[in-house]
Amino acid sequence: MSAVAATGTAAPASQRRLLAYRDDGPLARALGRFLGSSVPVPAAVLTVLAAAAVPVVLARGGDRVSDAALGGAVAWLVLVGGVASGRTHAGRFVWLVAPLLRLLEYGSLLSFAVLAAPRAVPMCFALVAVLAFHHYDTVYRLRHQGVAPPAWLSVAGGGWDGRLVLGYVLLVTGSLVTGYLVTAIVLAILYVAESTASWLRFTRVPRPAGFDHEEDEDE
Amino acid sequence: MTSGSSESASGTAAASSRDSRESAAGESGPGSARTREAETQTATAVVLATAPAAEGGPAAALPWAGATVVRRLLGQLADLGVHRVHVVTRPGWEAELAPALEGLDPAARVHVCAVVADDLRAVTDAAREGSGPLLVLHGEIVTHREALAGLLAGPRLVTGVLARSGGFPPFLAPRTRSARGRIVSASSAYHSTAPSNTSLLGVVKVGARDRPTLIETGERLAALTEGTLPPGWEEELERKAARWRLGLASGGVGADAADEADDPVNADGREPPDATDEDERAATGLAADEDESGPERYEAGEARIAVSSPEADAEVERRLAVLREDAVALLVVGLVRAGTPVANSFLRALFWARPLSRDAARDTAERIEDYDEDRALLDSAVKGNDGFFTTFFVSPYSKYIARWAARRGLTPNQVTTVSMAIGVAAAVAFATGSRPGLIAGAVLLQAAFTADCVDGQLARYTRTFSKFGAWLDSIFDRSKEYVVFAGLAIGASRGFGEDVWVLATAALTLQTLRHMFDFSFGATQHEAIETTPRMAVEEPGDRPARRPGMPPALATSPGRDGATGSPAAPSPLLDTEPGPPAEPAVPLPRRVVRAISRRATRLSRTLERRPATRWLKKILVFPIGERFAVISLTAALATPRVTFVVVLALGGVATLYALTGRTIRALSR
Repeated sequence: MSAVAATGTAAPASQRRLLAYRDDGPLARALGRFLGSSVPVPAAVLTVLAAAAVPVVLARGGDRVSDAALGGAVAWLVLVGGVASGRTHAGRFVWLVAPLLRLLEYGSLLSFAVLAAPRAVPMCFALVAVLAFHHYDTVYRLRHQGVAPPAWLSVAGGGWDGRLVLGYVLLVTGSLVTGYLVTAIVLAILYVAESTASWLRFTRVPRPAGFDHEEDEDE
Repeated sequence: MTSGSSESASGTAAASSRDSRESAAGESGPGSARTREAETQTATAVVLATAPAAEGGPAAALPWAGATVVRRLLGQLADLGVHRVHVVTRPGWEAELAPALEGLDPAARVHVCAVVADDLRAVTDAAREGSGPLLVLHGEIVTHREALAGLLAGPRLVTGVLARSGGFPPFLAPRTRSARGRIVSASSAYHSTAPSNTSLLGVVKVGARDRPTLIETGERLAALTEGTLPPGWEEELERKAARWRLGLASGGVGADAADEADDPVNADGREPPDATDEDERAATGLAADEDESGPERYEAGEARIAVSSPEADAEVERRLAVLREDAVALLVVGLVRAGTPVANSFLRALFWARPLSRDAARDTAERIEDYDEDRALLDSAVKGNDGFFTTFFVSPYSKYIARWAARRGLTPNQVTTVSMAIGVAAAVAFATGSRPGLIAGAVLLQAAFTADCVDGQLARYTRTFSKFGAWLDSIFDRSKEYVVFAGLAIGASRGFGEDVWVLATAALTLQTLRHMFDFSFGATQHEAIETTPRMAVEEPGDRPARRPGMPPALATSPGRDGATGSPAAPSPLLDTEPGPPAEPAVPLPRRVVRAISRRATRLSRTLERRPATRWLKKILVFPIGERFAVISLTAALATPRVTFVVVLALGGVATLYALTGRTIRALSR
């Protein structure tokens, strides 16, 4: 307890940054809030455990995975990955968390299409491209504007958790082709419009030297 | 491609390029030029004419083109819109400086100060008046106008310094250590920085919002430099003197001239290549001096072998006098240790010198004469840490396109947009699925990439930076790549009857994943810097474990690091209390892992130093230039499926490589 008090309670900017990279929806946030403190496992470990579910299910079932098995995998992903959102984002391997969330989100959406409706794969490409725009936009806006996208956007966009559940529902109802396409279009309008609006609002004021983020990225 | 017409006219370029720079700046991103103008107009400069010349009198009054060195500097400042000027000098030197200050409007305020403490107070007094940024600089600095302009107009510089990268600083320039573009440790006469990867070139700009910190730390430093110095300060100064004695004894007094004439230009114009390693060392507390090169290595005790001679002693005294008076260095130490983010504005290929004798001033004048400022500016516009393909196959000609664009008044954002349009055209060509279409797409993609390099170089060349422009550039870079993937996937089904959408989605996912690893890992690195304990200005050393006077047994707890024998990580514990020597030992497996990973980190750093292996490492990362080249080649010569398979395979190798390196680094912590 005393160690916590000594190091201060305000999360450093970098930790808030890592939380913004996660792109949690309301579901994951709720899980993190209610269960995060009672599961004493680091966020990185939880996320690796969560991400392990999809390959395990796919390997055991091959092409003929049952909807129920997939549903179980999605529930596991959302539950364990969501709980991780309530853990402190510090530690040696915490940098694995956000990229793994992207891998399991994009990877799951793609495997739904491959398994259930190969015709939906081009729509899946479009959907993943829109999500990638949003995730890059989050990083680049934090870098250049100094602020993350607003909280309502993660509610409106559903977060990775909401989109996984939606993808599974589309899979079960057999509407992946139209479902992915409509989701891609709606999210594209939402994300691009919000980002444009934020830039119109943003008035350039000098800010203290942040870190040189160009060094972060090997392009 | 379009560059041929204009590149030969470099001799007459300076004037015309400045014109176009202004016109380009006029219509840059949202309001950037106007803000900058306003900022510069209200800037105040404190010019320190306190360093003595070898011949006596202020070095700032050394002769220069019929006037003095400081006259030249004041002219440059006025040209940059800095009109409020304070000049700080020593008693009896006012007359020598008077001619340089004639005709300034408004007149410069002269502060006559006897000691460095008063210099610091003159700076804090100036910081209390007015608003806007405050520039504090040595009066005898000879540099290009554009170097000062870069510091004044820098995009992410509120508070920053003119800096040079590399472990070997110019003559009497204080060493600094930078990580992620920020100074994490600065040195002065009494403060040490080890290891160092950057140096301070005698100019600091303090943003309006950091003025209170400057005042506070300036007052504190003024009090400390008066009377009895804090413990360890004299020892630190003596360590520096001992180093010089040793250098002068081995190189002879003549070495001084060579030292002073030390190539003032940052030859490779590169930003610190091992900044991340330094960063990581700062974060992990790896042994600070294990591979430190250069004179900082010598311990005071070793100076015994130095043979003293009257000339050498006089030279050391002269240097000490200059160093002790270096208020700029002290202020930067104070700002950094107060936690103010201090950024670097790198000199790159531009000229910088600080002559402290008549000979040095003459020599400096000759060398700056030979200098083609526009050429240097153009070379500086090339990003320092680009990949192999970009550095050797695109930048050599794209910078001439950037200059051409500057002369025609194009803005970086216009070029960015053109680049995106060409990228979309490439995707459309790929989507035809025909061989001519694929070849055209390949060529267009390369054109788009060239334009992408041009926009950044144009922004740096014309100093037209905007946050929106940077965002647009990044977003369009990604969009270009992914729109090309879509074009290739469409082309595959139309021209080859192949369905490669799964591969295309996988390629998109892998590339996004790789970037997210970079972003995330970067954020944790920042956290390591943010949470590193800061030292008080009273401390001569820059990290707790290295505090002189502390018994080694306490400074390094043997239980923690017995495996490598290197000093222990600077733990927050040590900051408050050394702690008992018998700290609970780290379990053996953990120590073995740490020892192995540290060795691997060291190996990686060694490879970084050799150009061949450094470039190999850069290629292995599979950066954007290499990716676009591979996409163009495979699409033009083979099929879209081959493109995706190759991009996925190389991207996979790069991912494994990066993951391995980062895991090792995380384990060595």
